[in-house]
Amino acid sequence: MSNSTVTQPAQPQKTLLSGLTRRFRQDFQTYTMIVALVAIWGYFAVATEGSYVSPQNISNLFRQMSVTSLMAAGMVLVIVTGNIDLSVGRLAGYVSVIVAYLQANTWTTVFPDQPALAAISSVIVGLSVGTLWGIAQGYIIAYLRVPAFIVTLGSLFILQGLVLLQTEGKTIPANQPVFSEIGQGYLPAELSWGLVAVIAAFLVFNMLNGRRNKRRYGFPLPALTVDVLKIAAYTVLLVVYVGVVNSYSIAPGIPYPVLLLALIAVVVTYVSNNTRFGRYAYAIGGNRDAARLSGISIKRNIFLIFVLMGFLCGVAGVVLASYVGYGTIGAGGGYELDVIASAILGGTSTLGGVGTIPGAMIGGLIMASLSTGLQMLNAPPALTYVIKGSVLVFAVLLDVYLKRNDS
Amino acid sequence: MSEDTILEFRNVTKEFPGVTALSDVSFKVKRGEIHGLCGENGAGKSTLMKILAGVYPYGTYSGTVLYNGKELKLQNSAIQAAVREGIAIVYQELTLVPAMTVAENIFLGREPVERGSIDWDRLHSETRSILEKYRLDVRPQDVVRNLGIGQMQMTEIAKALSEDAQVLILDEPTSALSEVEIDRLMEILQTLKARGVTCIYITHKMNEFFRITDQLTVLRDGKVVSSQPTAELTPEKVVGLMVGREMKERFPRGARQPGDVILEVQDLHAEWAGREVLKGVSFALRKGEILGIAGLMGSGRTELVMTLFGEFANVTSGAVKLDGKPVQIKGSQAAMRHGLGLVPEDRKRFGLVLPQSIVRNISLANLGQFGGSLAVDEDSELAASTRMAQDLAVKAPSVQVAVGSLSGGNQQKVVMAKWLLSNPQILIMDDPTRGIDVGAKYEIYKLMNALAERGIGIIMISSELEEVLGMSDRVMVMWQGRSQGTLDTREATQERIMTLATGLA
Repeated sequence: MSNSTVTQPAQPQKTLLSGLTRRFRQDFQTYTMIVALVAIWGYFAVATEGSYVSPQNISNLFRQMSVTSLMAAGMVLVIVTGNIDLSVGRLAGYVSVIVAYLQANTWTTVFPDQPALAAISSVIVGLSVGTLWGIAQGYIIAYLRVPAFIVTLGSLFILQGLVLLQTEGKTIPANQPVFSEIGQGYLPAELSWGLVAVIAAFLVFNMLNGRRNKRRYGFPLPALTVDVLKIAAYTVLLVVYVGVVNSYSIAPGIPYPVLLLALIAVVVTYVSNNTRFGRYAYAIGGNRDAARLSGISIKRNIFLIFVLMGFLCGVAGVVLASYVGYGTIGAGGGYELDVIASAILGGTSTLGGVGTIPGAMIGGLIMASLSTGLQMLNAPPALTYVIKGSVLVFAVLLDVYLKRNDS
Repeated sequence: MSEDTILEFRNVTKEFPGVTALSDVSFKVKRGEIHGLCGENGAGKSTLMKILAGVYPYGTYSGTVLYNGKELKLQNSAIQAAVREGIAIVYQELTLVPAMTVAENIFLGREPVERGSIDWDRLHSETRSILEKYRLDVRPQDVVRNLGIGQMQMTEIAKALSEDAQVLILDEPTSALSEVEIDRLMEILQTLKARGVTCIYITHKMNEFFRITDQLTVLRDGKVVSSQPTAELTPEKVVGLMVGREMKERFPRGARQPGDVILEVQDLHAEWAGREVLKGVSFALRKGEILGIAGLMGSGRTELVMTLFGEFANVTSGAVKLDGKPVQIKGSQAAMRHGLGLVPEDRKRFGLVLPQSIVRNISLANLGQFGGSLAVDEDSELAASTRMAQDLAVKAPSVQVAVGSLSGGNQQKVVMAKWLLSNPQILIMDDPTRGIDVGAKYEIYKLMNALAERGIGIIMISSELEEVLGMSDRVMVMWQGRSQGTLDTREATQERIMTLATGLA
């Protein structure tokens, strides 16, 4: 039962294999989700006689997950701090109808025939509306101490009303040139390959840099082969993905929203692990009292998380308007369910303190994979809901069961 | 097995993956005795008691447990089975529902039912008779949330007693109790003994074993190293058996010269939720000094230090001076800027983020030290946290393990490491050795001495008078939110402190 001091290496009885098993159990949910994802793809590939894994569908699949997954990245942090945001879908919807309205009515009179300027203005307004809404919600939740569940539930109602007001029950077109590129455009095939090369080079640089720093501090270094294999694995995944989407003959290249999602996911992951703001979020969710007594301003942190959430809803709203090409009364309705489900499938604990953005991205991909696949099989929409709900509960059930057996 | 043996362990062994928690444990407990069980944290006391309580059911350990002459086989809802057998346990961690009343908690899960609905009158009258029988100072209708921690512990004991226990296991029942409450508990235990109830008593307070127990079993590293009548032992011998070596002195003493006054508190009054919690507190703390704060539960000790740290009551009058300059500290961030650090009471609740690693817990209050204004440089964070953990000799397989998996003493060292990294001038420690084993306590005392020698002023709240006297240079005694006086430790005695702490002088 005696432990060595931290200076000494881990207990000798622990073999490499048992270490790996333990590691595997810890990250079990993430691995299960990846296995589940492969299984889902496999099933649909067979059921659709291969068209599920065609370049066209793969290209669309990732683009389809982008709107909800953009918001899921923020939702992870919201849930990690022990809060919830029920208004995200409708906020994105509201942003999308405002942007559509501006595109269809305002910009054409303010600066006619300037599609690029119009698109930029739309983006600025869209992000601002989302952020301002986040500021208002965050203020009420963090500083006026109204529970997030209630504030965002109220928000959901209000936004639903605002969407109706804005659209007057009509569908507003948002399919103007340049603006449409945001949700429907593609990074040209050559540039897509270029991007892969840049990312691979960055990973190598980052690895070498990290190893140099570790050596300077005298930390033990992981074997070089392990690091190299890791980079190789990531690069292969990227190459496969780009290879597939580039071979989609009608529209080759990485869809812009996927690129945007990847960028946001990387940035939010970095923020959550490597900034004080992110670290504090996990500490607050893990033990609010200990965080407070460690000099962390809980109010400020929670406020900022809702601001970030609002901003991401703004991004999602702009992409949504551009992607579907119009603003409607139904915009964003029910998306909050997919967003929350993605975060939870990805291992975010509703008790707070635990959750990762990459996990939520896999969760989002599973959700999108199920929707797309069932659609291709011409399954009734009702069945999609039933299956998504069952998968969510079953995944968490499996996790709870396995963790119980482990301890 | 002889007639008067109620419980016998024969070669009990319990293994967890990679760890042998109990190894070939054999000893006997006589009917109606108070049987002390002692050992350092991790010696296997709790594991043993969890076998008795059915937490680890029959079949998950090897060896035999004989209870009233028959083999104890707790299976299928083993915890309820243990209760039916008459084995009750009061855990160190409270297991009450805060939103429920004392009566509801005592009868939780076995409420008296009359035609399908709960018979509240019977529930309350039975609770009242239990509370009166053992002279417990709580009322059936009190909501547990509003009780002091001592009263909660009393409720917990009442709950165990209400189940007609033959064997009552008390796992560190006094760690949160005041001296008065401990006295009452000791009386209760004597009453129970007279009624033929057998008690197994676990504590880290040596004097309690000698005050109350008839027989003492010492565990070390999962093995029984001694089981004999308490009368044949001395505290020094027991400590020696526990740690495997003779412990010459319990409180290390360094030569130190306290310097200038760094903190002065003058006639401090403070209010919280419309109630005056501090009613005139005055004291001074010097550089390189350990100032003990003694007082019973509810005397305002914790309220005082939390208020100093800017995290509790609103100061209504009086002054706090740092280096002679009056300051107003609003919130823990401001306190840290002024060079204060706080090792709070109840480390699990207030001190640590249990699922996070040692590194992350140590760095939590100090992330501004690593890297720029925004990003955290993980390498320098790891280096600094590892250095701190090594300085304080935190025992763990790695600095990346979750602090929740560490022993109490090591957890407390992590909390201290966090604050030492912030380089405080004044370190407030609220009951720093509560629930920590003897060896780890000694290490923490040595650390405190080393810090004082470096010139840090330390304020130490302690519930143990011996500790206050053993460690502090001076002792400030509180009673009902007031400072009753400050004694020089050289002339202070336990009696003088108690006289002040009970408002007699």
